[in-house]
Amino acid sequence: SGVSPVSPSVQPSKCTIAISFVGFGIVMLFYSFFKTLVGKEVAVELKNNVVLTGKLHSVDQYLNIKLSDVQVVDKSRYPQLLALKNCFIRGSVVRYIQIPPGEVDTELLQDAARKENAPAAVSSKA
Amino acid sequence: MASTLSEWKDKQVCVITCDGRSIFGILAGYDQLQNLILKEASERVYSPDADPESVPLGLYVIRGDNVAIISDRDEDLEASTGISSVRAEPLESVVQNVG
Repeated sequence: SGVSPVSPSVQPSKCTIAISFVGFGIVMLFYSFFKTLVGKEVAVELKNNVVLTGKLHSVDQYLNIKLSDVQVVDKSRYPQLLALKNCFIRGSVVRYIQIPPGEVDTELLQDAARKENAPAAVSSKA
Repeated sequence: MASTLSEWKDKQVCVITCDGRSIFGILAGYDQLQNLILKEASERVYSPDADPESVPLGLYVIRGDNVAIISDRDEDLEASTGISSVRAEPLESVVQNVG
């Protein structure tokens, strides 16, 4: 499997992740991506329209998510969820995961996704 | 880093199901598909016009397909937010396969 050369201005942690992105199959790409976000604040919107914010505690291969220190957005609509503290969210019910823009190198992610979809194409970077 | 339910085994949990129900109970067992066994389970039915009603269910098995959220219960947080007496619209159901 090819390793994409990364410019020296990219932080070391993102270098490592770029290499591991290319190494895994497409199934693992977003799992790897979310593993880099563990400890960050995210907002998870579920398919029943509930939005929960919290710290990403862990993620698994099905993109099930564990959040710690959870807060429900729109507390007046969902008061029954006010006492949630740490929760496990089944991957199949997630609609969106909102991440802080500074935490993701979108170009790197797009590149990795593109490479997974065109393994036969030769990627040349100066 | 795997997301497992092991830290909540034999603890009080609240399960939000895909049809919007809140089921409380002790997590007696689980598997990788989030099939759950709850002991001393009860459903708390919320309504905008009346106080919440607690329906005892006993020993319950929930198929993982129907699980949306599993959460631990913090007694102090529940007391301070008063959720056992709050009035609320029922949660919407999870819509799968939106057209």
